[in-house]
Amino acid sequence: MPARPLALAGLTVLALTAPFLVPDLTFLVNMVLAAIIVTGLSLLMGYAGQASLGQGAFMAVGALTVAVLTTRVEAPPLLALVVAPVLAALFALVVGVPLLRLRGHYLAFGTLALLLIVTATMSAVDLFGGPYGIGGIPPFGVGDWVITSQRQYAYLALGCLALVLLVTRNVIHSRFGRGIRALAGSESAAESAGVAVWWSKLAVFALSAAYAGLAGAISVFFTPFVNPDSFPPLASFSYVVMAVIGGLGTLWGGVLGAVLVSTLLQVLNSISTLSSMPPTAAPVLQYAAYAIVLVATLLYLPRGLVPALEALPGKVRAKVSQVRGQVQA
Amino acid sequence: MVDFLTYLVSGIALGSSFALIGSGFVIAFRVTQVVNLAQGSLAVIGGLVSYSMLRTGLPHGVAELLAVGVSAAVGLAVGIVALGRSGTDPLISLIITLGVSIFCSAAIILVWGQDPVSPPGLGGHAHLLGVSVERQRLLIVVVTLLTFAALSYFLGRTYLGKGLSACASNPRAARLVGIDVRKMGLAAFALGGALGGLAGVLIAPTSAVSFSSDLPLALNGFAAAIFGGLSSPLRTLAGGLLLGVVSQLAAGYLQGSFQTQVALAMMLVIMVARHRDFVAEEAR
Repeated sequence: MPARPLALAGLTVLALTAPFLVPDLTFLVNMVLAAIIVTGLSLLMGYAGQASLGQGAFMAVGALTVAVLTTRVEAPPLLALVVAPVLAALFALVVGVPLLRLRGHYLAFGTLALLLIVTATMSAVDLFGGPYGIGGIPPFGVGDWVITSQRQYAYLALGCLALVLLVTRNVIHSRFGRGIRALAGSESAAESAGVAVWWSKLAVFALSAAYAGLAGAISVFFTPFVNPDSFPPLASFSYVVMAVIGGLGTLWGGVLGAVLVSTLLQVLNSISTLSSMPPTAAPVLQYAAYAIVLVATLLYLPRGLVPALEALPGKVRAKVSQVRGQVQA
Repeated sequence: MVDFLTYLVSGIALGSSFALIGSGFVIAFRVTQVVNLAQGSLAVIGGLVSYSMLRTGLPHGVAELLAVGVSAAVGLAVGIVALGRSGTDPLISLIITLGVSIFCSAAIILVWGQDPVSPPGLGGHAHLLGVSVERQRLLIVVVTLLTFAALSYFLGRTYLGKGLSACASNPRAARLVGIDVRKMGLAAFALGGALGGLAGVLIAPTSAVSFSSDLPLALNGFAAAIFGGLSSPLRTLAGGLLLGVVSQLAAGYLQGSFQTQVALAMMLVIMVARHRDFVAEEAR
């Protein structure tokens, strides 16, 4: 298909110019980090069929890894950035052993409980900064080169997103990827076809946690502090919203969902700060927008935007040939 | 000893409200296989509506009943949205109820603002076993026990209640004998809304509620419902009471801020320990 490389080239140009086109770089960085998390969540929900309302827990592990390593033992930032997703994945492997015995609603509540327990632990343990968190995290850098501007963080985040998409693409097209895709359909059928159900689920869970840990690590370099309030449940819910809107189990669904939902919220945010608006306008508009977009998508495009867009050319062609048929008759 | 009794009594009161919210989860889940994540918001709406009704000068009793009615209506609306299109997967319905609960937050902030409010309840203290207890807390326990008695009578003895139980045990057979399973699902959501609203009405005078109270209320209620395997109202009551007492003891003897974590940890342990039973009901 010649359209694919063309679209990919267009997206690359867009991504490379975005840090110069988007005026609010904090917004851009947060959007790209959301896209990294949601890509993993989309893999977990769409392929392995497991919902997680607590991806923030793994972001927290990644963020804390960087915060503790750089401020407490003064490890080089690059080492911290590499260790963060690994530790997040290991954490997911450990908690996944009991948690992934749960499914559906129970897993959703279980992961939400995990997030709340992680943030409570953060405020209780001095190593993690207690209720005030850890501040004064040094900027990211490699050797003598140190990031000095927000724009460079935007490129760092975009580079990580590209890496995450590449890994995800290779996972999806591997034998392992076909195995986990079978999981979402029917676990017993997948098992009888020889898929190692338990290990596959655990591996996808760990991979999605690694992505979240990577995003958490970049966010803590960018911010540069972390505290228990950095990971509110609503943020983790919003990753689910983005994943569902973009389309579960698609490579680009996570990116599309993150971009659309973040942009919508940013637009609403700037509307609500207009002088004529009451102070409660911002939360009211944001909550209502989340809710309406989520519910409408689920009811009318239950498979999300990317599958709907992919089905569009076929539908148009069918319509055209139908009209032609009527004309000829 | 006095400390212990104080924690025990306040734990029973707290647990009663968990049980009411939990039974709302159970009623809706049994019939529809959908976990209604808006259950916490329904309780908050109950508390806030009773506050507004009392401010307009309505007498106690009428205001609270109206608030429960509003929660039931909102519960019905949640059901219509979540079950509206046939063939929606229960997990998708779960995320829809999450969306509705976020929408409820927007509506709550729009009407009542962001600050917690607390309607007046039964004032004063009563003495029980040598411990001084707020009378409102005693009211919570009494109303909860009466509600569960009425609920088990309703589910076991009345036409509508038997219909709900029939849909819960075997939807296909229920349809064969002429029960409209979808209408029963909506009725279950409304009843769950009423139970959540009742919990909110009862809790609000002792601890103020705001738009952000929905998540802790929903989590504690869900934890209570887990004791009953999301299917038994009476075991939900037992679970709620146990959860309330244990978390009050933990708050009293360990550290106050651990209360929710204790409830969460208990919920996780029970879910993981009983995962085989849960898997069986979701097997496909």
